[in-house]
Amino acid sequence: MSASTLEKPSAPAPARQKVMLVEGNEAAALGVALARPDMVAVYPITPQSSLVEHVAKLIADGKMDADIVDAEGEHSVLSVLQGGALAGARTYTATCGPGLAFMFEPYFRTSGMRLPIVMSIVTRDGITPQSVWGGHQDAMTVREVGWVQVYCETVQEVLDTTIMAFKIAEHHDVMLPVNVCLDGNYLSYGTSRVELPNQKDVDAFMGAKDVNWHVALDPLRPMAVDPLTGGSGGKGPSTFVRYRKGQCKGMQNSLRVIEEIHEEWAQRFGRRFAPLVEEYRLDGADYAIMTLGSMTGAAKDAIDEARDAGRKVGLIKIKTFSPFPVEALLKSLNKIQALGVVDRSVGFRWNCGPMYQETMGVLYRLGRHIPSMSFIGGLAGADITVGHFHRVIEATEKLLSNPAPIEPVWLNEKD
Amino acid sequence: MGMFGGAYNTIAFDANKCDGCGDCMTACATAKTGTVDQSRSRIQIVGSADEGFELALCRQCADPKCVTVCPAAALTKNYASGVIDWNADKCVDCLLCTVGCAYAGIALDAGTGHVAKCDTCDGAPACVPACPHDALTYVTTSRIYNEVGDWEDLFAPGLAGCQGCNTELLMRHTLRRVGPDTVLATPPGCVPGMGSVGFNGTTGTKIPVFHPLLTNTAAMLAGVKRQYKRVGRDVTALAIAGDGGASDVGFQSLSGAAERNEQILFMVVDNEGYMNTGMQRSSCTPYGAWTSTTPIGKGPGNIPSQGKTQDAKNLPLIMVNHRCEYVATASTAYMDDLYDKLDKAIQASKRGFAYLHVYSPCTTGWRFPTDQNMEVARKAVETNFVMLWEYNPTDGLHFTRPVDDPLPVTEYLKAMGRFRHLSPDQVSHIQSKVVENLAFVKQMAHREAI
Repeated sequence: MSASTLEKPSAPAPARQKVMLVEGNEAAALGVALARPDMVAVYPITPQSSLVEHVAKLIADGKMDADIVDAEGEHSVLSVLQGGALAGARTYTATCGPGLAFMFEPYFRTSGMRLPIVMSIVTRDGITPQSVWGGHQDAMTVREVGWVQVYCETVQEVLDTTIMAFKIAEHHDVMLPVNVCLDGNYLSYGTSRVELPNQKDVDAFMGAKDVNWHVALDPLRPMAVDPLTGGSGGKGPSTFVRYRKGQCKGMQNSLRVIEEIHEEWAQRFGRRFAPLVEEYRLDGADYAIMTLGSMTGAAKDAIDEARDAGRKVGLIKIKTFSPFPVEALLKSLNKIQALGVVDRSVGFRWNCGPMYQETMGVLYRLGRHIPSMSFIGGLAGADITVGHFHRVIEATEKLLSNPAPIEPVWLNEKD
Repeated sequence: MGMFGGAYNTIAFDANKCDGCGDCMTACATAKTGTVDQSRSRIQIVGSADEGFELALCRQCADPKCVTVCPAAALTKNYASGVIDWNADKCVDCLLCTVGCAYAGIALDAGTGHVAKCDTCDGAPACVPACPHDALTYVTTSRIYNEVGDWEDLFAPGLAGCQGCNTELLMRHTLRRVGPDTVLATPPGCVPGMGSVGFNGTTGTKIPVFHPLLTNTAAMLAGVKRQYKRVGRDVTALAIAGDGGASDVGFQSLSGAAERNEQILFMVVDNEGYMNTGMQRSSCTPYGAWTSTTPIGKGPGNIPSQGKTQDAKNLPLIMVNHRCEYVATASTAYMDDLYDKLDKAIQASKRGFAYLHVYSPCTTGWRFPTDQNMEVARKAVETNFVMLWEYNPTDGLHFTRPVDDPLPVTEYLKAMGRFRHLSPDQVSHIQSKVVENLAFVKQMAHREAI
């Protein structure tokens, strides 16, 4: 897993950053602490548990000044934070898998109320079959609910993105909740060297907190929050439509804001992450494979080896999955003639990976046909190795001269 | 301060405790005439038709007939003290006042030749401590009228409740008492259905109000309250929720918030079902009741469907077992009792979780005439179908309006249509459950008091 330092920062070097060796869950907790939330609500679930344990310890040790609510379940976790946000609190939690499923009712509502809550999803495969291992099925299942969702590749990116997520969420043009997705097992427990930003620099980056300017439960400015809308007559339906349209606009605005905030991060802290779509060795490539999350590290190694062997293959990585970065992806797809998409979850309706399904919509906008296929791997904690990616590369290369298969390729089926 | 001034004090009489000893009359005569002549006492205890005793004493009426009939303006209502003052200089001894009063509260004092009446001894009535049986008490009356009338009504006029519903009354009184520094949660149900949160850009509430989900009222309020506590602002977090959301699908968040002792005042308006959505059964629906999901019919296999087949969940007792700062049951038929509990609940919510369970008859869903709401609420208490009690961890549980001689439960059941199909067996089941529940709460009161 290589840090994606694409170019040197143009700003002056930031204050010296402490170097630490931490797992991804601890990196997320450290990022949360640096972002100074007022309120954290927690309920443990594998593989998220050590994340909230780290947060609880940071608070217990006085290294983080937040109110921690040990709620009785994920449903209440998010509900407590909604109340906190409506009273002006910067809020954070983390969950995954069955916890996310249990949380769904308030989860759906968070984006509708435009509450800038940040929640890590330490991604876990969906049950059943019973499993406590990593996979993107949980986050993918809720991709259509109006949360911004970004996926991290490295432990350092987890730390940095967690901080950025608060600023993205609270941007006045966005005002939407943000999921920072980090792969269960591979990032949650993967231990790496990280550089810890200086608190003063993070404070300057974050700026003033302004969480409930648009909707509040505050006796000093009383309002009815979320009265009933809709119905067939009067102004009800149009009120509802304008709310929904506003949510969609906020989602689209977030694409620009995510880019701006990643750029500011690079300027201030010297680490540059592709905000929406990352291209790796795509120039001069005839075809590409597409990845999401921590699998990208092994994929990049496979690309390097394939390039050394003379194959004209590159890589496209999605960081921002929701909203789907259509324009940015079109630019990358314009450079290639065939595409293989690797998903860590399944799309039951289309018999392919969800990211592949989304990408097919973008391919339609390309204005020319390029063959593509879906690969599904890494389910329930399975490793997608460099060897697996060589199979992906070879199969994708064949699309240049052979018809594309309709069925997905299941990578770990015979491991 | 309204036109009738502050709360008034008066002397209350409990006929059940009086044995007619006359000590009160002696004390009054001594204080007012310097004699022990009971006939000159301003308080008179007289035998009643049913062998007990009745009280003849000035009630210090708010709308006093004695004042109206006096041709000399010798009697006036003192709006500061509440007492009806008699002015000897103006009195012409016509005795019209003694005819005007329905309570025999003003009468001729043969020792002076003038009328005489109780003046409450300037706030320290001699009769009250003289009673050896505590049949007389000096109490504050008209408190609700006098105090609450001056507090701001925090709901807009014209909330859209069903005709005869008592919940609008409950909401207006509760909000007046709690005041504007409050965030109000009204989860889906009758309370927001009346327009408290509002429709399409209008709202019926003058303070911050919101729809939580049916499931997460206590959790959302906890978040609101904690943030204000964090920033040092005194904001009351109040829920007015239905029984369905609280006892069924929202029970987890309620229980969790109570266990964490969140500083919330959680009021459940128990109309024993999902009345706003069309009168479906909840876990608080009593045994035998018709609801739209426990309808009456011939039933499968010749076993008739006769309403709900399970007894109601007793949510307030469950909350006692969370050892909340305060738990109480209340009824809109007993507003003084309700207000007393509301005061305690507000104070308790500054320390931790306070839970108030208000029994709230539903004219529409229980099927009784719209003018019978208070009567149905009263009958529920008088039959011990519901019990009014309160609990706090220090003093334990005790009854606030014990009913020592309850009416048979049929007096309650027959007041409404939802029970009209009951078989004799079902009625006796309900009656036996009333006895059992009373015994259980009594045991709890005893145990908690230890």
